[in-house]
Amino acid sequence: MTTLIRASAAQQQGKPLRLAKRVLGAALIAAALVRAISVSAAESYPLSFWAAQTVNGLVLGGVYALVALGYTLVYGILLMINFAHGEVMMIGGVAGFFGLQLAAALGLLGGSSLAAALGLLLVLSFGMGVAALTGVTLERVAYRPLRNAPRLAPLISAIGASLFMQYSVLLIFGVRPMVYQRPPLIADGIRLGVVFIPLTGLIIFVTSLLLMGSLFVIVQRTKLGRAMRAVAADKEAAALMGVDVNQVIAFTFLLGSALAGAAGVMLGLHNGVIKFNSGFIPGLKAFTAAVLGGIGNIPGAMVGALVLGLAESLGPSALGIPAEYRDIIAFSVLVLVLVFRPSGLLGGGEVEKRA
Amino acid sequence: MSIVLPVLRDALRRGVIAFVVLAYLTLVGLPARLGNDAPLIFALLAMVVLGLLLRRAEDCRGWTLLVQGFLAGAVAGVLTSALVGGLAVLVGSGVRLQQVLDKLTPPNLAAWLGVSPAVITRNQLGIIEVVRLALWLALAGVGGSMLARLFRAPLPIPAARQWRWLVIALPFVALGFVIAMGDASFPLVAGQRSTVRLLFALLAVGSGMLALRAAQPGLERRLVASALLVGLAVLPFVLDQFQNAVMGIVFIFVMMGLGLNIVVGYAGLLDLGYVAFFAVGAYAYAFLSAPFSSPWFSQQLTQLGLPTTQPLLSFWQALVPVMVLGALGGVMLGLPVLRLRGDYLAIVTLGFGEIIRLFMVNLADLTNGPRGLLNIATPQLFGYDLGNPRDMFILALIGSGAIAFIALRLERSRVGRAWIAVREDEEAAQAMGIHLVRAKLLAFAIGATFAALAGQLYAARQINIFPENFSLFVSIDALALVIVGGMGSIPGVVLGAIALKGLPEVLRGVDEYRIVTFAALLVIMMIVRPAGVLPADRR
Repeated sequence: MTTLIRASAAQQQGKPLRLAKRVLGAALIAAALVRAISVSAAESYPLSFWAAQTVNGLVLGGVYALVALGYTLVYGILLMINFAHGEVMMIGGVAGFFGLQLAAALGLLGGSSLAAALGLLLVLSFGMGVAALTGVTLERVAYRPLRNAPRLAPLISAIGASLFMQYSVLLIFGVRPMVYQRPPLIADGIRLGVVFIPLTGLIIFVTSLLLMGSLFVIVQRTKLGRAMRAVAADKEAAALMGVDVNQVIAFTFLLGSALAGAAGVMLGLHNGVIKFNSGFIPGLKAFTAAVLGGIGNIPGAMVGALVLGLAESLGPSALGIPAEYRDIIAFSVLVLVLVFRPSGLLGGGEVEKRA
Repeated sequence: MSIVLPVLRDALRRGVIAFVVLAYLTLVGLPARLGNDAPLIFALLAMVVLGLLLRRAEDCRGWTLLVQGFLAGAVAGVLTSALVGGLAVLVGSGVRLQQVLDKLTPPNLAAWLGVSPAVITRNQLGIIEVVRLALWLALAGVGGSMLARLFRAPLPIPAARQWRWLVIALPFVALGFVIAMGDASFPLVAGQRSTVRLLFALLAVGSGMLALRAAQPGLERRLVASALLVGLAVLPFVLDQFQNAVMGIVFIFVMMGLGLNIVVGYAGLLDLGYVAFFAVGAYAYAFLSAPFSSPWFSQQLTQLGLPTTQPLLSFWQALVPVMVLGALGGVMLGLPVLRLRGDYLAIVTLGFGEIIRLFMVNLADLTNGPRGLLNIATPQLFGYDLGNPRDMFILALIGSGAIAFIALRLERSRVGRAWIAVREDEEAAQAMGIHLVRAKLLAFAIGATFAALAGQLYAARQINIFPENFSLFVSIDALALVIVGGMGSIPGVVLGAIALKGLPEVLRGVDEYRIVTFAALLVIMMIVRPAGVLPADRR
């Protein structure tokens, strides 16, 4: 079926058009490279600047990767974009804010470094827990009743859920941004030669690698993971084999949302503030990352996120354009990937059918 | 025992769901808005929620259902009163909850408990008020179980044939009220006369769409349609400035919605960046009519030796370039996304919309950045200035009428059938010999042209435009009105615009809750009635 559709799509596009597309893509990349080289020759930023930007990009990439995994997991199973995923992340961040306040009030964060580390771990798990609960509720209320509905219905329902969550947070907690008080334990950073690495950045990067590793183990090595892969491959067949499809889908949302919650807490710690709309743009970018790596593909999401984070932090200075255009770079990457390589960097195959 | 346990479990489940709904509404501060009526309205709400939940109860013999309702209501009541009472005591004993939870003010909690705010601030809340609340909700549960019976019965489908004249008469009755209320001697609510009148005007237009659907196809429908057109033509001349201004915005959104309806409703291409074309139209007209606001543009004109202090083109002359630019914009968006479908398309178009907005903000040389383009010319006709709300409403009406006519003709043309085929199944459509590229590009181009026209009218109406007028929410509003009305249905678009852009003006008081209500409505709508209020009839 897939090959048939691909063939017909290719036929319709015709050879000259495809060739033109390839040439255009190559030309775009070449133009970007030439521009980058000429700009860097002209501006000559110091090495420490580039190093700092790289660190920044990797940290950003770590956060995006955690969110992107949620998109990829859900897409892999339900073939739908969980548009409200960014908001799940935001709610995790809000929960993390309150967890942090509570931990600070209990005096957990000011004491010995062991107690502070434990406190931070608790805050992180609280954020993950609340986000997981939100994600599972979201699936139950807004997506499950629509599993057999027309194509656009779940997406529109997701847009509604996304707006609902954003503005509920605004109504309930008011317009004041929630300012994360960074505990003294992680307020500092380390210096490696010319590079200054903030501790929050290091923690984010390491934690996201750890979480991604555990996700990989869950999906590949556990019984539930096997059930997830079975449902992703064929829902009906999995149900016939005795897999509780509803439960597996709920579990998928739980996993993805917990990761997003962790990302929300980390974003709060890194940026220092969470607002009702803090999840929207990062969510969109994480989706971009998932598409960039090949949606439905777990390692792809990580690679895509790191590439996107680097492109975003290095891009404006490399291309010699103002930093306000950062978001434009991310969205252009999304458009270009979808146009020139819809299966993503690591993806092979079935995007045509699913898209 | 074996019967009791599941009953209790179900009661707990239903009670908790009702409690979550009530707790949410408390946290967003609705009781304070409702004032003294809060307990009654909330009890009614709990009744409906519990009724819907009990509808599915397996055991439906009379008294069991009553008991189940009572139990569920009691669970909800105990939880809610514990929450509200606990919060009230906290607030009363000086905990500054409001610093965290914005809406937990003493009046909010007091309205729920049916006491005066002073009772809460002085911490004089008695146990009786809290128990009263719990009992009240338990009673609502009993009411809910009665409602459940009603919900369970098959929906009484009105015999449309015989009763259709009532529906058809409705818009004209509403219009009659609007006209009668224009007379100062009309015995009605002095303070809110203008708002009530607006409500009736909106009702007249909205029910007109229902009447159109109720009338039987053929001569009858044509007669009703012409009578409705006459009614619409009368409307601008009987309404006052404020009412005309609201209707003007509603119909600018109708123009936009009709354009989006072609892209989403007919061709099934979900476009979340539709505001981009609206912005293209508005900014194009702004450049042409107020070149002095754009630094770069006025500089270019001075170099060419042209005057920059007056409009380059009049409103009518600008129609042509605006439409051309809109169509070009549509094709430019359409070309790269031709192969994408569904969700992917939605995200990419969303990205495009954001890119356009970011350019509007950041390309300060061209667009004057967030300071916006100012002093845009209003349309003139034979020396008359059409910039006032009434004439703007008339222009929007004419625009919507023209677009609706074109859309209707397109829908029934070869192109329209091709779009619908593409929407239903791309592969099958292609196999039937439909040129996918042409069909999709045409849909994007035509939809964008209509949006650009709406944008031009909007710019002329606003006189000053800023990037924040073209945020993502305009796209979402436009999409939502198409969906709520019924995708692919022209009367649906009008009804959707009335519901989403007009009614909020009447309900100014609940403006704060507009987005949440509307977001919840989107989800509920997709679950209950995915085809919209007035779905397109299949031919």
